[in-house]
Amino acid sequence: MIMANFRALQAVNRRKTFFLLFFMGVLVWFIAYIAIASFGGSGAGVIPLAVGISLVSVWGSYYASDKLVLKMTRAKVIEQSDHPQLFNLVNEVCIASGLPMPKVAIVEDPAPNAFATGRNPNHALIAFTTGLLNSMDRDEIQGVVAHEMAHVANRDTLVSAVAATTAGVVALISDILMRMLWFGGGRNRDHGGNQMPIFLAIIPLILAPIAATMLKSAVSRKRESLADATAVSFTRNPAGLRSALEVLARDTTVVQARSSAVAHMYIESPLDASAASRLFATHPPIAERIATLRKMESNPEIVQ
Amino acid sequence: MDLSIVLIFLLIFVVVYAIIQYNRLVRLNVQVDEAFSQIEVQLKRRADLIPNLVETVKGYAAHEREALENVVQARAASTSASTLPAIAAADGALTNALRGLLAVAEAYPDLKASSNFLQLQEELATTENKVSFSRQFYNETVRTLNTAVKTIPTSFFVGLAKVAEREFYEVDDPSARNVPNVKF
Repeated sequence: MIMANFRALQAVNRRKTFFLLFFMGVLVWFIAYIAIASFGGSGAGVIPLAVGISLVSVWGSYYASDKLVLKMTRAKVIEQSDHPQLFNLVNEVCIASGLPMPKVAIVEDPAPNAFATGRNPNHALIAFTTGLLNSMDRDEIQGVVAHEMAHVANRDTLVSAVAATTAGVVALISDILMRMLWFGGGRNRDHGGNQMPIFLAIIPLILAPIAATMLKSAVSRKRESLADATAVSFTRNPAGLRSALEVLARDTTVVQARSSAVAHMYIESPLDASAASRLFATHPPIAERIATLRKMESNPEIVQ
Repeated sequence: MDLSIVLIFLLIFVVVYAIIQYNRLVRLNVQVDEAFSQIEVQLKRRADLIPNLVETVKGYAAHEREALENVVQARAASTSASTLPAIAAADGALTNALRGLLAVAEAYPDLKASSNFLQLQEELATTENKVSFSRQFYNETVRTLNTAVKTIPTSFFVGLAKVAEREFYEVDDPSARNVPNVKF
């Protein structure tokens, strides 16, 4: 990477997100085309069904994300008096970013981690594990707070909801069509030669959901890199976040109330690294993130 | 289509477009004002903290007269400053004086261990960060406004919106700009 300036990094990651979401859109059209071309009328009927299911399931959880996530992660919303220093730190980052004060929550968990959620900056919630608050100094926690507030500023709950919806549509269409294939649903077979032979549809039907999941993970990784760059734009102190990531990298405990459903929200992936290959990872490798921040530290133009 | 209808649509488009650009300039200008009042709020908070700090340090290190005097004087200067460059200069001087006082405090273990001082330390750390972040946010809003004032299409509406380029908030002390996270 040539540039070590947060503005350039923000621009690059925004552009990459745009292209990834664009490709996901193309993938939806592709799978819809396969459905119509090889299954005719019944295939076309699958599309609104899949879009409907995916929209309802994802957007429901997007809209109530702050409340749902509190339940799923056993986080408790706290008041200023419960942790004055943490509130000071959040307040500082709010001043630096111009964002409204979010709800702050704590998760009783020895593994250091943090996450942000909420459908917009006015409904934002940021949460920290007790392990994180106990193992980091002031500057490090500030870096983490800035990273989480960067997710709020960049509307990452919305971006991941869009990515999850498109990936969901592709997965559902493929799944339903595969079942139709299995149970002899290709009843349009006799209608004439204008349809694609059914067996040609099998390979795209298998590959499309995998590609969609990979694209969704790539979007998540770009948003993490973007949040790191935005965090630096708030604090102008890459050393704090870098040092916090080093604490996370050294730590070997894993979050207890973990689930792949909320994995993308955390500052560091709460899942075992071995469980997911690089292409399906929701986070960029932590060493890479540390290296990028280190480059910013050595760049004197960082404050401009 | 009738030519007059086309002209009416064109006129509506031009008017709506002008309103959008005009509002953007005014909004940016208001944001700069808001950001500046945020700096003033944080400077006031810091000024309010200082008497308590000075008293606490005096209790343990009364003969560090010079460092204490510097802080008291810088605080007085900062509360009486009124123009932006004067406020910024006084702000920088106070930051330096405070840093000097806290460096002196390092030599007094009793002072450093006192509960009053420990509480003040966190208060000062967060206040100093809030001051520097509010400066940074202000400069960011000025940067956006000044870019809008100078670039097309918003630059056409500068006269109409009565908005002009604004001054950056420059603190003289270069270290205060490069290291916003002062360790106390």
